[in-house]
Amino acid sequence: MDVIPNEEEQMVKNLAREFLEAECPPSLARNMEKDEKGYPPELWQKMAGLGWLGMSLPEQYGGQSLPLTYLGLIIEEVGRTIAPVPLLSTVVPSLTIAQDGTSEQRQQLLPRISRGDLIMTWAMQEQDPRLLPETVHLEARAQGDGYLLSGTKMFVDNFVVAEKCLVAARTAPASEQSQGISLFLVDTGSPGISATALTTLAKDKQSKVTFDQVSVPASNLIGELDQGWPVVQRMLDLATALICAQMVGATRKDAEMAIEYAKNRVAFGRPIGAFQSIQHMCADMILWVDGGQLLTYEALWRMDQGLPASVEVSQAKAFCNDKCVAAVRTSQIIHGGMGFMMEFDLHLWYRRVTAWSLRLGTTFEHRAKVSRALLDQPGKVRLGMTMAAVP
Amino acid sequence: MNFAYTPEQESLREEVRQFIADNITPEMLQEMEESGIRRRGPQVDELYKKVSQKGWIGMSWPKEYGGQDGSRIDQYIVEEEFARVGVTVGGAGSGAPAILAAGTEEQKKYFLPGLIKGEIIFALGFTEPQAGADLAGLQCRAVRDGDEYVINGQKMFTTAAHYGTHIYLMARTDPDAPRHRGISIFLVPIDTEGITVRPLWTIQNEPTAPLGTTYGERRTNEVFFENVRIPASCLLGEENMGWYVGAMGLNLDRVGASRYLISVKRDEDIVNWIKENDLDGYSPAEDPAVRDRLAELWIEAQVCRLMTMRSMSLVEHGGNFTYEGAAEKVWAPEHGVRTTETIAQILGPYAQLLNGSEDAIEDGIYAHNLMGAFQSGINHGSAQVMRDQVARRGLGMPRG
Ligand SMILES: Cc1cc2nc3c(=O)[nH]c(=O)nc-3n(C[C@H](O)[C@H](O)[C@H](O)COP(=O)(O)OP(=O)(O)OC[C@H]3O[C@@H](n4cnc5c(N)ncnc54)[C@H](O)[C@@H]3O)c2cc1C
Repeated sequence: MDVIPNEEEQMVKNLAREFLEAECPPSLARNMEKDEKGYPPELWQKMAGLGWLGMSLPEQYGGQSLPLTYLGLIIEEVGRTIAPVPLLSTVVPSLTIAQDGTSEQRQQLLPRISRGDLIMTWAMQEQDPRLLPETVHLEARAQGDGYLLSGTKMFVDNFVVAEKCLVAARTAPASEQSQGISLFLVDTGSPGISATALTTLAKDKQSKVTFDQVSVPASNLIGELDQGWPVVQRMLDLATALICAQMVGATRKDAEMAIEYAKNRVAFGRPIGAFQSIQHMCADMILWVDGGQLLTYEALWRMDQGLPASVEVSQAKAFCNDKCVAAVRTSQIIHGGMGFMMEFDLHLWYRRVTAWSLRLGTTFEHRAKVSRALLDQPGKVRLGMTMAAVP
Repeated sequence: MNFAYTPEQESLREEVRQFIADNITPEMLQEMEESGIRRRGPQVDELYKKVSQKGWIGMSWPKEYGGQDGSRIDQYIVEEEFARVGVTVGGAGSGAPAILAAGTEEQKKYFLPGLIKGEIIFALGFTEPQAGADLAGLQCRAVRDGDEYVINGQKMFTTAAHYGTHIYLMARTDPDAPRHRGISIFLVPIDTEGITVRPLWTIQNEPTAPLGTTYGERRTNEVFFENVRIPASCLLGEENMGWYVGAMGLNLDRVGASRYLISVKRDEDIVNWIKENDLDGYSPAEDPAVRDRLAELWIEAQVCRLMTMRSMSLVEHGGNFTYEGAAEKVWAPEHGVRTTETIAQILGPYAQLLNGSEDAIEDGIYAHNLMGAFQSGINHGSAQVMRDQVARRGLGMPRG
C-alpha cells in the first residue's frame, strides 16, 4: 500500500508536463475550437514520436507495453493543458483491439496507431443518453459475407478526423445467453454514413452519425458475435477511468489559477486570498481534486493489475462529475466577472470540465452502479473490499 | 503507486481478526460499555495485556522502547480491525510521537514501554477555557524554580484526567516571547499535589452511548493547577519549543484508523443493516432516493479511506505533511456528519431512540451519533482551522 506515485511515475508525469506546457499554450486550445479538424497534426506526430499513442500497447505492435497508470498520468497532463488532440478517442479503441481483436486486426491497426498514422474513435451512445445495453438499437444485419449497419449514433467524439470507428450494434435481441450486441470496426468514409456536427459546450468535435445500410465485412467483427457487451463495457470502463484522469488534471490547473488569482487580486485593501472564506473555497477545491485523483488512480491501478475495477471506475466518475464541476465553478466565482469574459482563458477549462462531466456516464448512472454493488448482492460490505459489479 | 496490501499484511489482518473473534466476547464489550470510566474492567484489562503481548501496540516504534520497528501500515491494519468492533488500541494519542521525536533517552525508556503495556495513560492537557482552536493563546503558567517547575492555571476538556496516570501538558514558560515561542510541554504525574480534577458531563451521559459511537464520551474534565511542583526532568524537549513538539505530535495523531474509521463505519453499518432489515415492510434498500444518497456517501467514504492511505504512505516515506493530514481531518469528520444525518432521515423517528430504549435500532447508536458526530469536526484541529492550514501551508495563501 503506497498511494504516492513512485519516482518513475513522477518522471513520466513531469516529462509530459514539460512537453505539453511548451507545446500547448491556452491559445492553441482556443484556436482549435474554430479549426476544422480541431487538432494540430504536427502535435499529434510529436506525441506519436514520444511513444504516447502506443504507451500501453504491446511492444510487438510498436507500443511500449507500459502500465495503464502511465497512460493515465499522461492523460492527466493532457487535461491540465487542455491539449486539443484526439488522444482519448484513439487510445481507448486501440486498447480494446489489443485486448479483444484478432491477431490480424491487431497487426493491421495497432502499429499504425502507435506511429500516429491512424486516428480512431468509438460510437456507442444513441438517443437514450444512458450507457446501457438496452439503449443500443443500431442494427447490424447479416448479409452475404458481412453485415449491413443501420441506425444513429450520438455524441461521437472526433468522428470528423477519425479514419475508423468502433461501433456497438445490435445483432440479436437480448436473451438469457447474451445482450445481443456486437462490436464492429467501421471505416468512417464508408458509403451510407453521414455525420452532422454538434455544437457543444466544449466546442469540441462531436457528431451525430447516421448509418444507412453501411456494409461491413465479417472480418471487422471485434470479439464474438452477440457477445460484444462485455467488450463494450470494458471499453467504457477504460474510457471512463481515463476521462477522470483528464478531468482531474484540468480541474487541478483550473483551481491553481484561482489560487494564484486570489493571491494577487486586491479588494477591501487586501488580496482576496487573505479572506478566510476565499481560503476555505480554495482548500475545498484542492481536497476535491485530491479525492478525485485518488479514486482515479485506484481504478486505473486495479485495471492495470487485471483486477475487477468497474465499481471503482464508477466511484471515480461519480465523484469527479460532482466535485470537479464544483471546483471549476468555485474557481469562476473567485475570478469574479473576469472569468466570464471571452478574452480571459479560464472558461477554456471551465467549459471542458463541465462538458466531460456529462460524458461517459452521469453522476446518477454511476451512483446507481455503486448502489447495485452495495445493496443488490448478499453478504456484508466493508470499505476497502473488492465489490463485484451487479449488472 | 500500489493500492494493495502485501500478503504478509493480509495475513496480519487475518490474525488480528481471528484474535478478535477468539478474545472479544459480548460480555467484555458489555463491560467496556458499562464501565464508562476508562471503558475498562477486569476482562478488558486482560484483553489489553494480551494485545500488547502480541506486539500490536506501538508496532511502528523502535524495538528498544518496546515497539516492533514495524511499518505504519501494519500498525494501521491492527488499529483498523479493532476500531471496527468499537475498541481503540494503541491510542497513545499525540504524546508518544512527541516523546519519540523530542524525548530524552530516559523519558523514552520510561514512557514508551509503559504506554504499550497500558501502565501509563496520558490525559491530553492542551485546551483551556480561553484557548481552544486558538491553542497558542494558552495561559497556564510554568515557572522554573531551581530544579523544579511550578505550575498554575486551568485546563478544559481534559478527557482522560480521571483515569490517566500523567497529563501531557502544554504550558506557558515565557510570557514575554511571541505566542508560539514561549510554550513548553511537560509530562506531569497526575497524582502530584495541587492538581484537582473535576468532571464535566457530556450530552452522551444517561444513557451511556454504545461502543463505537462517534464522540460517545460521557465524561471529560476540567483540571486545576495550584502551585503544582514538578521536577525539571518532566520537561519534554527544549524549554519554549513546546509548540513545535506538540504540533508535530498532533499532526501525526490526526491521521490513522481511529479518527477516520469512526466516521466511515456508519456507512458500512447502515448498508449492512438495510440489506437485512426492513421497517414493517418498508425496505430503504429499495428506495431509489436512499440508494442514490447511500452510493454518494459510500464514494465519499472511499475518499476518506484513500486520504488516510495517503497519510500512511507519507508517514512510511518519512515525509512530513504539508496539508495532507489536515485534508484527512476535514474530510472524514464532515463525511461522518453527512452520513449520520442521512441515516437519521432513512430511519426517521427510530433514529431518536437512545441506548436501552424499547425498539432502539442497534442499541441506539444512530441517535447517539447524532449527538456526537459533529464533535469530531471540532476536536483536535477544527475543520475551520484545518482548512486554514490547507490554504496557508498547503497553498501558500496570505494571512488575513
Ligand atoms: C468530548 C471532548 C473531549 C475533548 N478532549 C480533549 C482532551 O482530552 N484534551 C484537550 O486538550 N482538549 C480536549 N477537547 C477540547 C477540544 O480540542 C476543543 O473543544 C477544540 O479545540 C475547540 O476549542 P473550543 O471548544 O474552545 O472552541 P473555540 O476555540 O471557541 O471555537 C469555537 C468555534 O469557532 C471556530 N473557530 C475558532 N477559530 C477560528 C478561526 N480562526 N477561523 C474560523 N473559525 C474559528 C472553531 O472552529 C469552532 O467552530 C475535548 C473536547 C470535547 C468536546
